[in-house]
Amino acid sequence: MTVEAGQAWQRLSPRMLLVHPVHELLRQIPVLIGSLVLGSATGNPMWALFGLALIVGYGLARWFTTSYRIGPDEVQLRTGVLQRKVLSVPRNRIRSVSTDARLLHRLLGLTVLRVSTGQEARGDAAFALDAVQAGQVPRLRRILLADSLAPSEQEAWTTARELARWQPSWLRYSPLSFTGLAMIAAAVGLVYQAGAGVALQNSRFAQSGLNAAERFGVGASVVVAVVVVLVASVVLSVLRSLVTYGNLVLVRRDVAGSDGVLHLEHGLLRVREHTFDMRRLRGGTLREPLLVRLFGGARLDAVMTGVDGAGEASLLLPPCPRATAESVLSELIARPDAVTGPLRAHGAAATRRRWTRALALPAVLLIAMVAWYSWAPVWLWPMWAVLTVCCAVLAVDRSRALGHRVDAEWLVARAGSLDRRRDCIAAAGIIGWTVRQTLLQRRAGVATLIAATAAGVKSYRVIDVPAELAWTIAGSASPWVADSDWARTQ
Amino acid sequence: MNLIEPANPPSRKAPLVWAIGAAIPWLLLAAGQLVWFALDQRLLWVHTLAAAATALGIVLFVVVVPLWRYRVHRWDIGPNAVYTRTGWLVQERRIAPISRVQTVDTERGPLDQLFGLANVTVTTASSAGAVRIVALDSHVADRVVAQLTDIAALGGEDAT
Repeated sequence: MTVEAGQAWQRLSPRMLLVHPVHELLRQIPVLIGSLVLGSATGNPMWALFGLALIVGYGLARWFTTSYRIGPDEVQLRTGVLQRKVLSVPRNRIRSVSTDARLLHRLLGLTVLRVSTGQEARGDAAFALDAVQAGQVPRLRRILLADSLAPSEQEAWTTARELARWQPSWLRYSPLSFTGLAMIAAAVGLVYQAGAGVALQNSRFAQSGLNAAERFGVGASVVVAVVVVLVASVVLSVLRSLVTYGNLVLVRRDVAGSDGVLHLEHGLLRVREHTFDMRRLRGGTLREPLLVRLFGGARLDAVMTGVDGAGEASLLLPPCPRATAESVLSELIARPDAVTGPLRAHGAAATRRRWTRALALPAVLLIAMVAWYSWAPVWLWPMWAVLTVCCAVLAVDRSRALGHRVDAEWLVARAGSLDRRRDCIAAAGIIGWTVRQTLLQRRAGVATLIAATAAGVKSYRVIDVPAELAWTIAGSASPWVADSDWARTQ
Repeated sequence: MNLIEPANPPSRKAPLVWAIGAAIPWLLLAAGQLVWFALDQRLLWVHTLAAAATALGIVLFVVVVPLWRYRVHRWDIGPNAVYTRTGWLVQERRIAPISRVQTVDTERGPLDQLFGLANVTVTTASSAGAVRIVALDSHVADRVVAQLTDIAALGGEDAT
């Protein structure tokens, strides 16, 4: 199977001869403009043509100078037009393979294939084949992951089980996200940065808008503007969610004699695929941001070694019905009780700390308002009352969320209200424990227990457990703590 | 179950080295204030306030904190784990299994070299799991490194 991959240096798809020049042209627009200016200034149009030829030539040269090789022990990528570089990745260190196809790539039937190892590789150090023909991807993925999985025949890949498939009803969790607002803000910023703001101010469109605002009055105009922005944000959020996650499929493929792989595919315009090696799975995180939780939803992140813990890379399920996320995680870690089972609460001291923290801001504000009583406008008082009620609700919700559950195989910790998370971490993957106490925690008799792993976000916290319980939790998850010289039973 | 405190304190010279390390920036600040006072003697109350703040900082960070840290800092190495206690206001007890150790580094800053101290950092595959044993006497540090590399049999397994 390795021999079939070939020892010779291979080139990327020849169709990149079309893509590279276009990308280079887009990237070198300043150079292009410069050569146009030079051309018109010297009255010699050859300058512009020369600049164009240089850029296109560079784009073409990139294809001729890029090659890759899948050797018996490592994969290598040779790049660079002027500065040559060879990137080698040992094959047994490959943890996951992901693919990504933007519009231009898709039109030409191309796919970017990325290989990720345990190290965090950014920018130039990342191993990316940009790009190969989409038809080759399944074969390459099989070759690249085969070595880190048990050596097996291709037929073994056939048993595939679908864990989750995107449903239109999942869209109901997206309108309340902030992605739409963020997109609007980014667009406005871009327009102003491009200098279009000044042009817009003097345009007839802006003038008519100002006239309309004067006619309706400032209050009404502000309300209209806010409503327009909110509606646009909701529409954009839903659209983005649809375009990014519509057609999402999560599949588990079993391989004989191994734990198999997890395959995630999503995206309507830009197609992204991730293949995770199941042996690297150290658990999962159920995340329930407040606005998603109110509608009974949750999202699911993988906790894996070699995969960045936060953000896109570790995403398994976008906001979806809670039951779906829970059943997928149960299926992955084969322990339903860790995913849905009841948690042990952290007691009165932890609850008290949640209350003091939540009420600190209202208390400070109250003191300030009493001290400057004569200057505080009347409407400030009802607003303060509303804020206090919100903080109290937050405190209740946060102290209810706190909890943990531990046995010899899994550590489960839940915390948070605005961004509630339930981390399920395999005890075998925990390679260090920290018990941290601030001065106030020591006085309250609680401690924060931090489990260190090589996977996901690297550190997982059990917040404000009773101090006498902290090492018991660590000991029941990790026998090497319970068996150490320092362990004493009370 | 509970863990008793680790047994070994850092070097006896540790509080002195920590105090000198903290004194350097504070003394620079004090010198700056003297220069300022020499150049401009209006606003006497501002000078007094700044001097008081600096004096307080020096007492806290040059005297109290090093002694406090010396009382807290402890380390120990067992047959299968390293265990430390560090900090002063925020105190941490950290334990890591030696079988998962990836590297053992020794590091000496300029002051450490002057006083013959060394810091040992034991890293594992998790960025949150590195154990640091600070301010050891050089010969103790060498022994610790030898002991750790001996037990760990580095590079044996993937350690994730």
